[in-house]
Amino acid sequence: MSTDLAVPADLAVPALASAGRGAGRVVARTTAVKAVRSALVWGCVCGLYIASSALAYASTYTTAREREALAATFGANAGFNALIGPAHQIGTVGGFTAWRSLGVVGIVGGVWGLLTATRLLRGEEEAGRWELLLAGQTSRRGATGQAVAGLAAGWLTLWGVTAGISVAVGRAGGVGIGVGPALFLALAVAASAAVFLAVGALAAQLAPTRRQAAGCAAAVLGVSFALRMIADSGTGLDRLRWFTPLGWAEELRPLTAPRPLVLVPLAALVLVAAGLAIHLAGSRDVGASLIPDRPAARPRTRLLSGPTGLALRLTRGVAAGWVAATALGALLMGLIATSVGDSLSATAGDREAFAKLGYSGSGVEQYLAVTFLLVALLTALVAAGQLGAVRGEEAEGRLEHLLVRPVSRYRWLGGRLAVATGYLVATGLIAGLMSWAGVAGGGVGLGTLLAAGLNVVPPAVFVLGVGVLTFGTAPRAVAAVTYGLVAWSFLVQILGSAVTLSAWVLDTSLFHQMAAAPAAPVDLTAASVMVALGVAAAAAGAVAFRHRDLVGD
Amino acid sequence: MVAPAIHTLGLSKRYGDVDALADLDLEVPQGEVLGYLGPNGAGKTTTIRLLLGLIRPTGGHAEIFGLDCRLQPVQAHRRLAYVAGEANLWPSLTGAETLHLLARVQGHLDPAYRDLLVERFGLDPSKKVRTYSKGNRQKVILIAALSARPDLLILDEPTSGLDPLMEQAFRHCIHEAKERGQTVFLSSHILSEVEALCDRVGILRAGHLVEMGTLAQMRHLSSLTVEATFEGSVPDLSRVPGVSAVQVAGPVVRCQVSGTVEPLLKVLAVSGVHEVLSREPSLEELFLAHYGSGDVVEPVPVHVD
Repeated sequence: MSTDLAVPADLAVPALASAGRGAGRVVARTTAVKAVRSALVWGCVCGLYIASSALAYASTYTTAREREALAATFGANAGFNALIGPAHQIGTVGGFTAWRSLGVVGIVGGVWGLLTATRLLRGEEEAGRWELLLAGQTSRRGATGQAVAGLAAGWLTLWGVTAGISVAVGRAGGVGIGVGPALFLALAVAASAAVFLAVGALAAQLAPTRRQAAGCAAAVLGVSFALRMIADSGTGLDRLRWFTPLGWAEELRPLTAPRPLVLVPLAALVLVAAGLAIHLAGSRDVGASLIPDRPAARPRTRLLSGPTGLALRLTRGVAAGWVAATALGALLMGLIATSVGDSLSATAGDREAFAKLGYSGSGVEQYLAVTFLLVALLTALVAAGQLGAVRGEEAEGRLEHLLVRPVSRYRWLGGRLAVATGYLVATGLIAGLMSWAGVAGGGVGLGTLLAAGLNVVPPAVFVLGVGVLTFGTAPRAVAAVTYGLVAWSFLVQILGSAVTLSAWVLDTSLFHQMAAAPAAPVDLTAASVMVALGVAAAAAGAVAFRHRDLVGD
Repeated sequence: MVAPAIHTLGLSKRYGDVDALADLDLEVPQGEVLGYLGPNGAGKTTTIRLLLGLIRPTGGHAEIFGLDCRLQPVQAHRRLAYVAGEANLWPSLTGAETLHLLARVQGHLDPAYRDLLVERFGLDPSKKVRTYSKGNRQKVILIAALSARPDLLILDEPTSGLDPLMEQAFRHCIHEAKERGQTVFLSSHILSEVEALCDRVGILRAGHLVEMGTLAQMRHLSSLTVEATFEGSVPDLSRVPGVSAVQVAGPVVRCQVSGTVEPLLKVLAVSGVHEVLSREPSLEELFLAHYGSGDVVEPVPVHVD
């Protein structure tokens, strides 16, 4: 039971193996092993999303007329353009697939990149494993260079898997995408992963903890996304697209009008960020950071009177970041909504198509309904993140210090969940409030938008419930299950909004169960069912947790 | 009747096919300092985690002050404090914040004693836990546990990472706890620590409690080490009653004697012995005897005239 050194078995072996072959590439190898392992999974997710987009389109829209109708509906739809990028030639399989894949898979790849890089660089260093690996073998700069090489291996795997699936699906009947274009599509889709691997590696040099490094890199991603969103909203600010790497990835225009030259700024950004990370690594000590970490502080004990207060104290920084990001995003969405909403309501075809999707109301409301899907995604990710933190307390052995004192497991878990639920409600409400502030007299009332904000809470509560059930029964799978559920729901919902998926598949998406508020009234029945199921799952999970052993990593 | 501080009956924990702990029957009366010995993986930490209700037994049961460890953990925990061998604390809190939190969660605390301990262990509580060394983190959880003045202290290799000066401070604290009538369950593999502090010692091997008793009782049951240096020829000692494990190195003979030493002394007296050294087995030797590897420690001189 006692683990004296936090060295996983798979690390210890290569370290020994290389000792004989002279200061080896231990760091490169261990980083590569971990990065490749996760890239295999996420490469499959990206590839299958591309494959399902292409196949579903080819089977749903078989005639030229249907395809034209679709192009007319979505091609000029500001809401979807803002959310997932502008559509080019979506009357073709290639155009549609590229449109659907770039925005969505690009974001997934970016998130994967920044989380992977910060985990494998700052996370490993924070856990003290680098000191063991480094002990006399290589310089800090050399080690970081090796780690970056390991990340590169991970990226190549991500691209390779995505490309493999894209090439395979390109040969399917009705799809007809050639090998070259399929490879270029995969490259465009994986471009943001490369950018944010490099940004993550740089952030890992700047911030003293993995969490802060991931936060810095996520802020860069958030700003990039916001700029891209403004640029693609049809507000005449198209040029902003050239100020964000996500915009560059769009401008690669795979499958429609490929522009390989745009790879130059992308590659340059990756090289500069990675080079800077390696350079900075050499000018600091192990464990130190360039953003100074105050080693001492005056005690602030107001919250530290019990386990729930502690939960608040530990999570409030990250939660405040999420809430602030949501607030800014919502304000932005609101501001854009008024300028694009009117053009949206002008065409009758749009209205009809949107009505089929369950979107009614004014153009502004329809636009906001699409963007509130993004709020729902963020809120569900907050739920998954909170559960990750709950599991982290147990996995890293900190929970014991509370449970060996007169604190019951129910009290501890209940406090954590109360805090998490508070964050979910706060995220929803702030999104409603700020989008109202952004719309400012655009004909949508505060009440309607606050309701739309609260509307995103039930799916997140469901994620929380399923996460607690996993925590009680298979604690090591918490992150995989919660993030998997959120990613699946979002991908199915985005895909299902344009092509015909079986009702059964659509029903597995939490976001499909949620009404498209504010373009549709809040579905209280569906919301109640999601909350009730979430609470029931959480209760069952809490009982299971009460009766199981505590388990480490 | 006063409930014992710790009472277990047939307490067992299996992981798959491995018995981490098998049929442990243990009773620790109130006020006793019990040393709990065993190498890594013998089941010391498993025992403690079962007592604390952090893991579920696969058999038997355990009580602390008559309270079931599994069903009434909160009530049981009101009367104890625990120090883990690995102090994984919240990196973003300072030492002072951590001590404040743990004291508030514990429910009772002796602030004057805490301040004394902070000084005694030389801890700078204004620093963030992230910047602490392993030893400093260990000090934080030691101070948190000791300053609660609990009826029962459960310590799992509490001095890992502490320097020798701090080790002395720790021993001082355990003596104080004993004087106040607190019960101490000290799991350790630092034998000198156990020898210096404990009333009774239990030795654990591969999940089984193989020895339990006071040090005097254990020594009585085992043999004495005698080393004799001769001026002339070396006599054959192997046939002397009670003598075993005879090793000859030049003029020096080393052997083990169980029972009375009289027959050996008689032989030595007529064999031109120059010097005789003898010593009781150390806890280390007792311990090693249970694990089959018997490097004998240098004996201390004893005068025979």
